[in-house]
Amino acid sequence: MKKLVTILFSLLFVLAATGFVFAGGDSEVSESAGAGNLAASLAVDVSVLKAADGQALIKLEGAERVVPARPADPSALPETDPLHWWDMEFAGEITNKTNIPESPADGAIGKKITMIVHGDHPWTTACTNGAQKVADVYSMDIKIQSPNWDLAVQNQMIDQAINERPDMILLIPLDAKTALQQARKINKSGIPLLLFNMLPEAAAMDYAIGWTGPDDFGQMRKLSHIFADALGKKGGVAYVQHAPGGSPYFARCFGPISELAGYAPDIKVLDKQAPGFEADKTMQLVSDWLTRFGDDLTGIFASDDSAQALGIIEALKKVGREDVIVVAAGNSKVGMDLVKDGGLYAITYQTAEGDGALAVKTAADWFNGKEIPAITNIPQHMITKADVDSFYPPQW
Amino acid sequence: MENNKLSETTKEEIKQIDSRATSVNLFGRVMHYAGIYAVALMFLLAGIVLQSLGIINNFLTTQNMVNILDAVSMLGIVAVGMAFVTYSGQFADLSVPTTMALTGIVAVQMLQYGFLPAIIAAVLAGLLIGLINAVAIGKYKANPIIWTLAVNYVTLGVIRLVWVNKQIYPDMIAKTQRASDLFDAIYRLRFFNKIALPLILLIILVVFLNFIMKKTKYGMQLKITGSAQKAAKFTGINTEKIIGITFIICALTATLAGLTITSLSRVGAWYNGTGYDFKAVTAIVIGGMTLAGGRGSIIGVLGGVLIIGLMNNIMTLLGVGTFSQDMIRGFIFILVVGINAKSLRSMGRDDA
Repeated sequence: MKKLVTILFSLLFVLAATGFVFAGGDSEVSESAGAGNLAASLAVDVSVLKAADGQALIKLEGAERVVPARPADPSALPETDPLHWWDMEFAGEITNKTNIPESPADGAIGKKITMIVHGDHPWTTACTNGAQKVADVYSMDIKIQSPNWDLAVQNQMIDQAINERPDMILLIPLDAKTALQQARKINKSGIPLLLFNMLPEAAAMDYAIGWTGPDDFGQMRKLSHIFADALGKKGGVAYVQHAPGGSPYFARCFGPISELAGYAPDIKVLDKQAPGFEADKTMQLVSDWLTRFGDDLTGIFASDDSAQALGIIEALKKVGREDVIVVAAGNSKVGMDLVKDGGLYAITYQTAEGDGALAVKTAADWFNGKEIPAITNIPQHMITKADVDSFYPPQW
Repeated sequence: MENNKLSETTKEEIKQIDSRATSVNLFGRVMHYAGIYAVALMFLLAGIVLQSLGIINNFLTTQNMVNILDAVSMLGIVAVGMAFVTYSGQFADLSVPTTMALTGIVAVQMLQYGFLPAIIAAVLAGLLIGLINAVAIGKYKANPIIWTLAVNYVTLGVIRLVWVNKQIYPDMIAKTQRASDLFDAIYRLRFFNKIALPLILLIILVVFLNFIMKKTKYGMQLKITGSAQKAAKFTGINTEKIIGITFIICALTATLAGLTITSLSRVGAWYNGTGYDFKAVTAIVIGGMTLAGGRGSIIGVLGGVLIIGLMNNIMTLLGVGTFSQDMIRGFIFILVVGINAKSLRSMGRDDA
């Protein structure tokens, strides 16, 4: 019996010792593999990647912006004052980062990331294509999920992602306010979070390693200058708004309104309405505007260069009012065709592929131990008839 | 003697009850004779009064009236087809949005073979969905709401799977400029430079479908089926066939609307047609067609469609904001349907 116990203990000791040896060896292998991964990951060059439109997939030139000092109480300022929108436009510029995980700094190659977008749309398809291209060059395992514009489903997807423990969650928040709860929950689970594309409420930024996406306000301010110049800085304009809830609803209407109040104060705001993204509904709205305002309506600023822009152009054509200046956000094929035909005066270059690509590239940078800025924007450019040809074929 | 006395009292009471039951206000009488068009006329008059008071401009102009008709023509095409489903007692066809999307995207895809093959393919795709609904609901008595909702999701999945969540463009798919131009013209062709093709299609459909519903043997059998399906079956009517045909009619009108909306938006995409199911049901109910089936008319549904167009137009001319418009629209719908129902019931009819 004594012999048996001795043999058993000896066996256990041998097993444990072997385990320690292997564990130690493994740790050495891990460290060396981690160093190798980091070196290989840092060597990846994404600047050679191209989007479907032939433009560089990731380009940061033209994305810089000047951040003015925050007023004591932006909401006390009138809506026509650009600083009224400071908290929304510069959300994330002042943050109090909370419980942000340390970067493992062991390279991005082979990392598992979950990307949760807002909903199914051709734009989203292009965006996720861009994300996939970058994930592929880093050999990252990317899982893309879409709640199809349903906030409850997006919340479920977040819970599921937390259970699956990926190395990072990348999220387009469906609703600016709910984003705070979503970000807190992910942060609490210890999984690093990167927000992108849609601006959340400023407090949500505290729980994310960063935010990437378009500077929607900035783009709209630039577009509004082109718009005002084409109008001779006078006339009456109407705004076709984005869907309520997200940041574009404010940025693509109050961005230009507040900018034009300073740049072209003689331009009057006649009306602003959110008919959704259906060409027929927008057409009806613009036809009614033409009846209501007649020749006083000289310009239309649209939130979408696709269905909304088509509806606007059809309504104008019906009554022979092709003198009305129309600008729109986005660069879909429909929008670019309309710019080429002369129906749309200008649109914004808003790379959908680049948006998704930049988010994954930022995730890779974090895994590589690089410092992540609170905000990283995609580049801005205004497309007019003069250069529209260089953006074909369209991304979506 | 006592019996006679009792009888006289009862007669008096019955008289009083009858008098209460049949006391009809002016609105009720107008509704009885003019139907939902009385309400449409009221909206029209409201617009004229607002214009004469200088509150809105250019309401009563040819261009504005054409705009209103243009705006509701696609909804009208869907609603008059779906009205058959409602009339048959099957409530609504919720597969309409994806039928519109599928037929549109199939047409765009088939434009590579020319305009006519594209249209034929779209009609066949619509017919296929109609037949599936017809068999499942007509023959196998599937719940129409659950079934058509399921078909809507399945079709949506098929579109997304086949076209990988992308939208496709007629001018990029068509091999010839002529095919692309013809497809573009489905929405944009205008007669006398004013009247759009979808509006002409709507008028033709209203005349034709109203004739089918009111003047044919099928229409009579449909009315009986919609009013009392079991009784209709006992009288020897093939209710399965009658109900099945309504889903085919609905799918075909949805195909027309799908082609029109795809031509307007110049993209074949899964989201074309979104929301048209509930918009059509709203127009049908406002038009006085009861969801229980067997009552109402195509002409009434057209009235419901016109009311929606007039209401949207007046509110935008008044400068009412988007959110307030939704609220007012909902409130007016409740009011119109409620008053209509009350007036008709007080006249001894339960059409609403």
